Amino acid sequence: MNRTSNIVKSLVGRLGDLSPRCKEAIRLQSAALDRNLTLTERFGLRLHLVLCRWCRAYGRQVAFLRSAAGGLAQDNRHLQQQALSPEARERLKRMLQSARE
Amino acid sequence: MDADEDSTISQPPAEDVKATPGLSDPDQWVELHGDYLFRYAMMRLRDAAKAEDAVQDTFLAALKGGKNFAGRSAEKSWLVGILKNKICDYYRKAGRETPFTDLEFYSDEESDRFVPVGLFKDSWIHELGPQEWTNPGASLDREIFWQTFRDCANKLPKKVGAVFTLREVDGIEGREVCALLNISENNLWVMLHRARMALRRCMEVNWFGKKDAPE
Repeated sequence: MNRTSNIVKSLVGRLGDLSPRCKEAIRLQSAALDRNLTLTERFGLRLHLVLCRWCRAYGRQVAFLRSAAGGLAQDNRHLQQQALSPEARERLKRMLQSARE
Repeated sequence: MDADEDSTISQPPAEDVKATPGLSDPDQWVELHGDYLFRYAMMRLRDAAKAEDAVQDTFLAALKGGKNFAGRSAEKSWLVGILKNKICDYYRKAGRETPFTDLEFYSDEESDRFVPVGLFKDSWIHELGPQEWTNPGASLDREIFWQTFRDCANKLPKKVGAVFTLREVDGIEGREVCALLNISENNLWVMLHRARMALRRCMEVNWFGKKDAPE
């Protein structure tokens, strides 16, 4: 029993050198959404994800929410369809005219 | 109306501006570009009065700095460039009044879900880690889902929420968000990470984790 757990500990230790822990792995997954990871980062993350289903779930979920966030913008459609009100339009025109006189 | 005192008259009079190849008559600017500039400002300022002010300031500055252009699209880009600066000025001023604090960059709501010490330090405490979400895509056509999502987004700390909205919802380029909020690229990534962590957790608790959530 002891010998097995020592082997396991040693293996985990070795892997730990190559791949990040969960806290770092989720940070990397987030970063990967915004920039290119370095080769080392990517490799280490891949390795971690093979072994860690929680971080795999995290990555899927965050990616899903990110694509859904665009839908919140649909919600803000009114922002995107905004136009100057007729009053504002007139105000601006008058302002421009007087500024040039 | 004294030309010496009025600094806005540093550019050629209307007739000359019209004669300049490619540059449209400022009288036309409101018609040609007003709505576009207003929309652009609205996406970033989210307030009609502020957006209008920004557009007004843009036109005024444009009058002062009349340039030569070939083509209307170049003129529009030029105006947008001025508008961007005006919007930055607004954020800079707002930022001075309530600056980002270290707290916003470094506090970490999820930190107590990781093993604190020992061999498995910084691994998820398994019971507290991410759960499986069954078929999340199916939620997208439920109005209550969007409501929940919106509520979760609104719960974000103010600055983190601003970063999230500008970058993830409005799709404004990272570099521009940095310029608007006067933060570094690194700051941006830290705050996006925090926003995503918090949102994921909030959605898990309030939507996907619920027993009566739809499949």
